[in-house]
Amino acid sequence: MNIFASILLASEEHDPAHSVHWLWPEKAELIYGTISSLLIFGLLWKFAGPAIVNAMAARTERIQGELDASAAAKTSAESEAAGIRQAAGDIDSERQRLFAEADAQAEALLVDGRARLEQEVAELNARAEADIASAGGRVNDELRAEISRLSNVATERVLAGGLIDAATQQDLIEAFISKVGAS
Amino acid sequence: MSDARIDGYARALFEIARAEGTIDEVEDELFRFARSYESSDALRNALTDEMIPAGKRQAIVEDLLGGKATATTTQLVSMVVGSGRGRDLPAIIDKLVERASSSKNLEVAEVRSAVALTDDQQDRLKAALANATGKAVNLKVIVDPSILGGIVATVGDSVIDGSVRTRVDQLKSRL
Repeated sequence: MNIFASILLASEEHDPAHSVHWLWPEKAELIYGTISSLLIFGLLWKFAGPAIVNAMAARTERIQGELDASAAAKTSAESEAAGIRQAAGDIDSERQRLFAEADAQAEALLVDGRARLEQEVAELNARAEADIASAGGRVNDELRAEISRLSNVATERVLAGGLIDAATQQDLIEAFISKVGAS
Repeated sequence: MSDARIDGYARALFEIARAEGTIDEVEDELFRFARSYESSDALRNALTDEMIPAGKRQAIVEDLLGGKATATTTQLVSMVVGSGRGRDLPAIIDKLVERASSSKNLEVAEVRSAVALTDDQQDRLKAALANATGKAVNLKVIVDPSILGGIVATVGDSVIDGSVRTRVDQLKSRL
């Protein structure tokens, strides 16, 4: 309340040595201030302007370089991505090829193994049949040999027992003489 | 012994027997003795043993043949054994028989039979062999029980085998 009252009081008490408006400075100060400001701005424009322009240009150039680098990096990245995608595609096709080759080899192995197994089975069968035939032949041979041996023994025993009596002996002699005489 | 020496001994024995006029008998007796000699290991060993003195071996011969063969036969065998040629006695005698047969234009027919042959059978067999071979034969019969039955006749290089032993062997072979 006291502050507002003071301000109102001051506004009502107008002084020509002072500013024409309470918000503005005094005239001289305004003039000097304006000149000083213009001088400062001029000096700034004269001496600091080129540096600022250069700095801005350098910044612009740097930003452009960064943009260019980013574009190059993007291009490179895209190229690399394309390469990776191509490599991925190649890997996929290589994988497909390897799978196909593995399948073919597995199939070939299966076919070969099956053929070999069939051949081995055939050989085993043939060998088994040969063994059976051989065993059969051996048994037959042994049987024949045994029959022969027994026959020999029987023959010798019969002959030792005097099967050929005197009459038979004479018959044999007469038969021989007749046979020789007739020849 | 070489063939020449065997032939020489055979010729000498043959000439002695012929000179004595007993060639047929001597030949026959010698042939029988040779077959006995071949079939008897004991006799062969006794007459060929160099450890036995020649006189002893000759005594064995005279004991064996004395009274059973002619004196000429006994003396001829004794001479061969005494001269240390007992091992070649069968070959010498076979050569002698062959020579004697040749002198009569006969072929030696060696006949093995399991039993002795009668004179009639020998005559018919001789005729049959002569008919079969086309040659007159001098039949020499050997009783050989090992052939079991039948007859085996050998005339020169020809063998006519009708023995039971051979048939049995063939049967065994077939079995």
